[in-house]
Amino acid sequence: MGVMRIAVLLRKELFQGPKNFFFIGAIIMPLILSFAISLVFGTLFNDQASLGIVDEGNSQLVMMIEENSALVSIEYKNFDELTDAVRNGAVDGGLVLIPDFDEMVKQGEQVDIPLYMWGESLAKDRSIILATVSNLVRELANQEVPIDIETITLGEEENIPWNDRLLPLIVLMAVALAGLALAGSSLVAEKEKKTIDAVVVTPTTINQVFIAKGLLGIIIGVISGIIILLINQAFGTNPALLVMLLILGGIMAAGIGLLMGAFSQNVTTFFSGMKLFGALLYAPAIFYFFPDMPQWIGKIFPTYYIVQPIVEISQQNAGWSQISFEVFILIGLDVALITLVAMIIRKKPQYAV
Amino acid sequence: MNWRGIKAVVLKDAILYFRNRFFAVITMLGLVTFVIIYFVMPSTVDETLKLGVYAPGIPPEILESQEIQDGIELTVIPSEEKLKDEVLEGTYIAGLALAGNPSAEFSINVYLASDLPDEMRDTIEALITEMAFQVTGKPAPVKWQQEILGRDMAGEQIPQRDRMRSLFAVFILFTETFGLAGLLSEEFERRTAQALLVTPLTLKDLFTAKAILGTIMAFVQAMIVLAIVGGMNVQPLIITVAVLLGAVLVTALAFFMAALGKDFISVMAWGIPGMVILIIPAFAIMAPGITSDWIKVIPSYYLTDTIFQVANLEAGWNEIWSNLLILIGFNIVLLSAGILALRRKAQWA
Repeated sequence: MGVMRIAVLLRKELFQGPKNFFFIGAIIMPLILSFAISLVFGTLFNDQASLGIVDEGNSQLVMMIEENSALVSIEYKNFDELTDAVRNGAVDGGLVLIPDFDEMVKQGEQVDIPLYMWGESLAKDRSIILATVSNLVRELANQEVPIDIETITLGEEENIPWNDRLLPLIVLMAVALAGLALAGSSLVAEKEKKTIDAVVVTPTTINQVFIAKGLLGIIIGVISGIIILLINQAFGTNPALLVMLLILGGIMAAGIGLLMGAFSQNVTTFFSGMKLFGALLYAPAIFYFFPDMPQWIGKIFPTYYIVQPIVEISQQNAGWSQISFEVFILIGLDVALITLVAMIIRKKPQYAV
Repeated sequence: MNWRGIKAVVLKDAILYFRNRFFAVITMLGLVTFVIIYFVMPSTVDETLKLGVYAPGIPPEILESQEIQDGIELTVIPSEEKLKDEVLEGTYIAGLALAGNPSAEFSINVYLASDLPDEMRDTIEALITEMAFQVTGKPAPVKWQQEILGRDMAGEQIPQRDRMRSLFAVFILFTETFGLAGLLSEEFERRTAQALLVTPLTLKDLFTAKAILGTIMAFVQAMIVLAIVGGMNVQPLIITVAVLLGAVLVTALAFFMAALGKDFISVMAWGIPGMVILIIPAFAIMAPGITSDWIKVIPSYYLTDTIFQVANLEAGWNEIWSNLLILIGFNIVLLSAGILALRRKAQWA
């Protein structure tokens, strides 16, 4: 096996790696994305209706709207700012509260209030704005709800916020990017510079080179995955199980990376492969974004068997019995990949060097 | 201009590109991925909140003539048990079980699924309460004077996948810059460019050849995807002109990246931050209102805005001529600067 030689090669990869663009990208990108995507996509997919307000008096209604979670409210300084915001879609609706609004409402006067709606706002958002603001104005005027309304909750499932839905994508990105990009790009770079030819004329075998590069991808992928889970406080109740899954996921990513590296003669070709396989690897995570999409499609992609158990452990505190089926499939896929890589090294050595 | 020489270089690069079958197949598969993403996404926009109603003895029309009705779709359910089942299955966001008579004693049970977000609970409660006020004939103390700002898209909302057409085009165009910039920079680093220059080919001819190939590669790919995802259904000539100008823009940027980078990796290191900036306008189309006027300093804004307006809002030459003019201006400036930067690199090399 030559464990010492593999360790020497791995040490070289770890020390030389930080000079490599892929190395930096593979580590830093998921971290940046962990902060940025949740921010950007949290806003992008936020389906709450938003209301801009200009308060020309000192209305209590502004605070009541702010405290109501049905609407996201933003206060603007003047009418022009408000209408600009509504016109460009920064808010779905805009409301101008005239001076003495509260007094007029409390005295039961019928007040005419302009309510601006963004042309592209959804009909349901317009209804929500109207109903919520009307309700709060009635509350301000001390109108009592005329009928008994009782809210009854059905089922036991919990709501999963957007940030949690994004977690699978970020974890997958950390593991897959490191495993795939580092293992593969390192192999291609050596092939391009012909340094791999120099290495294999020493007692070091091509198998040991592949193992060292694979290990590099797995180690960095697992570390990145752990950091992402720590940042998102999503380690769940089974951290050991989670780390095991990250390792199995890292093996799959490194296996695909080595295969791509073996079939790419230069970095340009390898990068083109990443364009395609990157999209395919991240595909299962997309299905967590859109729960209305047919979820069985996600199961077609091999990385589903990394993401699904991670989601179950980190978000639903699942144990071994709940995830064992997916884990066995993942192990099977890993074994198949390792076998494929070994076969290529043995039977088609021209691809490896 | 040595057009024969230019043609020879273009053909040589194209043959080299397609001779690498893996590279060619992967590029095609990349395009297929965009098309699949487009067709997997929902083709319609759900504008309404769907509520199930069980109201024995109460005409459902009583709830259907209200001011807030446009955004709500009420469906009558024959039994309370079925109503609960449908809410649990997610067919309806909430279920209303009405009992009594609106003109006398009246009560509503609101069934909500446990995985409904808190803000949606408040929303449903606000809607039901307002409906209750209106059903019982209690007017609000305010009269809303509604005014729509901008084109009223109610009933003709643009699905997210159609908003993504600009993103697809920009993404394909800018990804192609990496390939061209990598080829250019390696041509100088490996000194194959210098070898070409000892033939009757001049530096100007070489740049023209690279610009033609880069523009064609980017243009053809973006056009194929846009044609498949319906981006060419309206005003195809405007879209063609816009994409062609976009392809020239990315070729100019590729010249810059090639001048800055030494090999494919350093080209990527320079290119990715630039690409992120250039993609921002396409994201702004997907989430209107997240940016303000500063976005107009990014050249790709004029490309994404044109594709969006023409493909989704059926804009014509009158609406977008200024976009195209600005894009031409950016192209002239950036292409000149890119060629200058690359010429200096060539001279140093």
